[in-house]
Amino acid sequence: MSLLTSRRVFGGALLAGTGALAVRQLCSTGFLRDRRRRRSRVAILHEDSYDGPLDRTLIEGLHLFDLNLRGKTVLLKPNLVEYIPGAEVNTNPRLVGAAASAVLALGAKTVLVGEGPGHQRDTVLVLAEGGLEAELRERRIRFVDLNRDEIRKVPLETPFTGLDCLWLPRTVLTSDLVVSMPKVKTHHWAGVTLSMKNLFGVIPGVAYGWPKNLLHWKGIDRSILDINAAVPAHFVIADGIVGMEGNGPLHGAPRNLGRIVLADDPVAADFVCSRLMGLNPLRVNYLAQAAEFLGNGTPERIVHLGEMLPPAMQPFAVLPELAHLRL
Amino acid sequence: MQFGTEPTSLALLALNASPACSAVTTEDLVPLIALRQPNGFWPAVGVGAAGVSFWATALAVNTLMTLGATPETFGASLDALVHCRPQEASWLVRLRFRLSDRQVRFDSKKYGWPWVPDTVSWVVPTSMALITLGRAKRQGLIRGSECEKRLRLGAEMLLDRACSEGGWNAGNAVVYGVPLRPHIDATALALAALRFHYNLPIVRNSLTWMLNRIDCPSAYSLAWVILAAAAYKDVRSDVLPALDMARDRLATMVEDHRAVEDTSTVALAALALGPENTNNPFEVEV
Repeated sequence: MSLLTSRRVFGGALLAGTGALAVRQLCSTGFLRDRRRRRSRVAILHEDSYDGPLDRTLIEGLHLFDLNLRGKTVLLKPNLVEYIPGAEVNTNPRLVGAAASAVLALGAKTVLVGEGPGHQRDTVLVLAEGGLEAELRERRIRFVDLNRDEIRKVPLETPFTGLDCLWLPRTVLTSDLVVSMPKVKTHHWAGVTLSMKNLFGVIPGVAYGWPKNLLHWKGIDRSILDINAAVPAHFVIADGIVGMEGNGPLHGAPRNLGRIVLADDPVAADFVCSRLMGLNPLRVNYLAQAAEFLGNGTPERIVHLGEMLPPAMQPFAVLPELAHLRL
Repeated sequence: MQFGTEPTSLALLALNASPACSAVTTEDLVPLIALRQPNGFWPAVGVGAAGVSFWATALAVNTLMTLGATPETFGASLDALVHCRPQEASWLVRLRFRLSDRQVRFDSKKYGWPWVPDTVSWVVPTSMALITLGRAKRQGLIRGSECEKRLRLGAEMLLDRACSEGGWNAGNAVVYGVPLRPHIDATALALAALRFHYNLPIVRNSLTWMLNRIDCPSAYSLAWVILAAAAYKDVRSDVLPALDMARDRLATMVEDHRAVEDTSTVALAALALGPENTNNPFEVEV
């Protein structure tokens, strides 16, 4: 190799190294606009079963937040993956129905329920088998398949995936209030799947496929951060009445937690839910990063409107490779 | 409303098969052809939106071939489909699957087609690509060793990804040691693509699994079941009675307009309930 060629190779390597460093720095949350509010509010509500007075519990819980829903279009985004008999995979249909009725009772003009399952193309089948179709029909609530909704391009302000934009459903972008309604579950790749991970379901399959594999390749943690920065949920109603532990999000065991968690900040909601699960949110990569710019994770910036976090929780079972998440 | 390649293709096929409509004309195909991009691929939706989709491309080309469009309108697209590669075609990616991403069980040497560029193969786009390229090969529109290799690898990939109880889901049969459940529509498409391989136990078991799901409450999945099973009616005595039951059930379902809200489902149901002697666009001739 000539001296000139060697210099070029060395120079190229140096440039590549510097570029990689710049990208790493760019991905550091210190460069991002701080979107955290001064205080976030969370309410942990007791509810032992889905047969309880869910409508009343939710109306009372929502009153704690003084939300102004009058005349607004509200989109409820539950977590629907697929129906597995006996498994607590999806946000319970009774809770979704109760949330829809509660939101209408508080003055919302329209309430929609929308989801774009990640692997199952036949959304109607997931709705019917899981019982949500019957629940929504009875309550006369419209469902929108976010996988096949009209899509619009949304530029990304955050650099985590390296994508310059996301294609997102019109229904999500035009709703006045997006409510993330996760099922409280462990997740074999992300650690936990709560209100932030739940927003993966707003990514339209028609643009990204089934599954939304491009985002898996860009990194699940990074994608969660970019999605939540692009379309932050305004409110959270987390289904922790029965959660899932172990090999979630599909094949774990049901875990009675007896809680519904409401919050006006998805990051705060997920921190509180993680602690209810006996897991350390700061060890969940995307949550730790989100708490640096997207929402509040520190206890002093979270106001509890309902009951306080119990002093000790029996931790959710996790896969051996996620044992470090335990508090 | 936004243009979609899938609903448009399925609607054209359904209209062409309907005895109530006159045959689709060249003029009717113009909006679909106009969406083809210079690289030969189709987007899933609207002009310039969201890049290319290999599923949409395979479906659009199969539609144009079925409806007798001139080969100039899709020839380059066939070539593009043959030469597009999923991530597993790269040895570096295969190495990554061998060394680190080991929780999903599959043989990365056997690859098909992804949904979108820069991702790995999945069952639905692979099945549609096999149906399309198989039809093109029979019509003498493509040939060569590369095409043969992709057809072979695609079929091998589908067989590798089959679920243990029979059938297919999106493409992950086993994750973290747990066998995952098949999906009806993915199973139907894979079976349509694998008609040549009926002698294999995986295919026969999958057909059995699918025929046991005709009680499913979704018109979309049920229509795919009918279209896929029709190709097997000559080799299994239980297919015809199951088809009759499935058609009766689907006919009842579509009377409720809430069961068939979207264009794709309406078109698939029309195709599935249409005259049995019409050309099934998803049937691979044996």
